[in-house]
Amino acid sequence: MEQQQILEQLNEIFIDVLDNSDIKLTEATTANDIEEWDSLYHIQLVVAIEKHYKVKFTASEIQSWKNVGDMANAVKSKLGA
Amino acid sequence: MLFNSIEFLIFFIFVTTLYFGLPHKFRWLLLLIASCGFYMFFKPEYILILGFTIVIDYYAGIWIESAKTPAARKRFLVMSLIANIGVLAIFKYYNFINDNITGLCNLFGYTNQIPYLHIILPIGLSFHTFQAMSYTIEVYRGNQKAERHFGIYSLYVMFYPQLVAGPIERPQNMLHQFHEKFTWDYDRVMSGLRLMAWGLFKKIVIADRLSIVVDAMYSGTYGYNTVWVFIGTFFFAYQIYCDFSGYSDIALGSARVMGFTLMKNFNFPFQAKTITDYWRRWHISLSTWFSDYLYTPIVINRRDWGKWAVVFGLVFTFFISGLWHGAGWPFIIWGVLHGIAMSYEFMTKKWRKKTFSKLPVWLNNTLSQLIVFLFLQFVWIFFRADSFHTAFNVIKGLFNYENFPDQFPAFTAALRYSLLVGALMLAHFLVFEKFWRNEKWSKKLDSSVGLRYAVFGYMFLLFVFFGSFKNAQSFIYFQF
Repeated sequence: MEQQQILEQLNEIFIDVLDNSDIKLTEATTANDIEEWDSLYHIQLVVAIEKHYKVKFTASEIQSWKNVGDMANAVKSKLGA
Repeated sequence: MLFNSIEFLIFFIFVTTLYFGLPHKFRWLLLLIASCGFYMFFKPEYILILGFTIVIDYYAGIWIESAKTPAARKRFLVMSLIANIGVLAIFKYYNFINDNITGLCNLFGYTNQIPYLHIILPIGLSFHTFQAMSYTIEVYRGNQKAERHFGIYSLYVMFYPQLVAGPIERPQNMLHQFHEKFTWDYDRVMSGLRLMAWGLFKKIVIADRLSIVVDAMYSGTYGYNTVWVFIGTFFFAYQIYCDFSGYSDIALGSARVMGFTLMKNFNFPFQAKTITDYWRRWHISLSTWFSDYLYTPIVINRRDWGKWAVVFGLVFTFFISGLWHGAGWPFIIWGVLHGIAMSYEFMTKKWRKKTFSKLPVWLNNTLSQLIVFLFLQFVWIFFRADSFHTAFNVIKGLFNYENFPDQFPAFTAALRYSLLVGALMLAHFLVFEKFWRNEKWSKKLDSSVGLRYAVFGYMFLLFVFFGSFKNAQSFIYFQF
């Protein structure tokens, strides 16, 4: 799957979980850019992403993400493997 | 040594002058010696406790980094955590645990034989052990290289501005700064001094003044009723805010004078519109510590539970946070109430958004801030009261609508004076803070020397005439 395609799907998930239809993700987007994206909702996002792609991340993978680009890469490498 | 003492003033001038006079390669040594002196002012022999954990964590960091297998890395991390939590357990929680065992024994008709420990809590223990743990955890996670310079690692734990009451720093922000060379920069030095002055103002003019009224209310001398309890708890909210954020300002300011940047610890917490938001603004260095090292790992591991993972993570983290503040059940209740409030906010977020978006924005914001403040004011009763007994009497008093004005004549003249001056100074503080919060005005203050002289001159006058010097108090957070 292409990076851009993953990004668009992540965007859908973010809009759904965070209940904010204005979200426009880029690879550089971080939790600081989206008001609703805090440590409480972060984990809801992770669960939704795991469900959507039927993958499971490790704790250290989740904690190493710095922005949406890292998340998309993590999804990509899980799907590719 | 208290920041609000003459000793500290002399210490600060002496150390800062030497700091700028010495070549860079000796500065770490000066700061380390100064920090040891600062700490030993309280109870000299306790420096040995610090020494013990510093040595263990220093080697743990190096061993974690050079370990060949993940299991070995983990072993060294666990060793460091056990040493730090062990010291906390003995000095801070031993008697608390023992008391609870006694209670359990009595319940079942046994006698608890474990002896009581007669020790004084080392100052700032919870702060520097948390900062030390942050180091070994970050080395373990691969975010920080192990520090090889033993003196600089010691300084990371002992740096006097933040040694006894934070901000609880992270190695990624602090360690490299001790290797950097900072030069004299007039503007930076002045801005650091101004921050210190503002911190001292908050402490001496506001917090220590309000504390006279708060202490009188909690002592129960004048009985408890709605108005009196409301005044006492209202004043306590601002007392603890000015006390602790004042301390942080002096810490940040004195570090800034020398060129160091410490992390921001407060961001106008009473502007928060939710409790969740409040914890992003109050004691930020502690809440991010708990979030990074306790809450997030718990919730990640339990994420199969869905939303309940967050609820469990919040309540458990705030249970520990309560315990971190003090070894006693009232602190734990205080923490758990925060955890429950945040869980409620989390579970009802969508519903609240839908329901209250119909209100005008200003009304929604004002009401939200008011509710948050009243909640804080209420749960702080458990934090401030010396026992459950007092806490319940105070809460009962909240619903006792009778006879407030009758007791007023019974107040001592000093108490009446502090009530009046406290209210007046608090009003000043609120106005000052409103300007600080306003970007346009705070920029104006930064750019206009004349305005700065006027504001700080006025503050100085208030300080001289209304400062609470006879009632110089230790900082509330020193006990943690």
